[in-house]
Amino acid sequence: MGSPLSGISPLGQIGAGVETGKPANARSDFFSQLQSALNQVEQIQSEADQQIAGLLNGQGEDIHKAMIAVEKANLSFQLMMQVRNKIIQAYRDVSGTAF
Amino acid sequence: MNLLGVLDISASALTAERQRAEVLASNLANAQTTQTAKGGPYQRQLVVFGTRKAARSTFANAFADFSDRYAQGVEVKRVVPDPTPAVQRFEPGHPDADNQGYVAYPAVDPIEEMVNLMGAARSYELNVAAVQATKNMISQSLQILS
Repeated sequence: MGSPLSGISPLGQIGAGVETGKPANARSDFFSQLQSALNQVEQIQSEADQQIAGLLNGQGEDIHKAMIAVEKANLSFQLMMQVRNKIIQAYRDVSGTAF
Repeated sequence: MNLLGVLDISASALTAERQRAEVLASNLANAQTTQTAKGGPYQRQLVVFGTRKAARSTFANAFADFSDRYAQGVEVKRVVPDPTPAVQRFEPGHPDADNQGYVAYPAVDPIEEMVNLMGAARSYELNVAAVQATKNMISQSLQILS
């Protein structure tokens, strides 16, 4: 009987390691990366805005630069939407878990 | 360098070809110009292209090392005058004629300029095709998820 009881105590150590160890950091890391990715998408979009505005008020920027900036904004937005869809899907999968 | 960086390289080529077309159009427009600000006939201009380090996009610096070594954009390094001497034509009545009645015309061959202009237009087209190919590559990679 002595040996099974002594076998339980390491479990507590494992649990403590999980709580204070990597997962907490990894979680905040992921969200800060997500945040910076969102900021970059926004930056690319504002650049496209500026290019189009410059084109419309005749600042003399190249047309193709504006078109490429718009296309970049479009593609990065699509990438962001894919990431967002994946996160929402993961959330739904987890929230639908039966207890 | 990511795929969006490839777009920057194509964009630099588009800009360079537009500038080349600009200079060629200027040559064509001034094929008969005998008066310029610095005196004498117009001098035909030549465009010199050079490689350019791709503009580092803020989106990713991950493969910057690679992009610096292999992926380079293009730019117009400088525009130089063509040293070919002016063409002398006998037109005694012309206000710019010299004592012997010869007028110095720019050494611009409109046919040659037109061919170069077609080359610039085709190169522009080519680089637009490269932009579209890159765009399709990015779109297709986004469809891996869905």
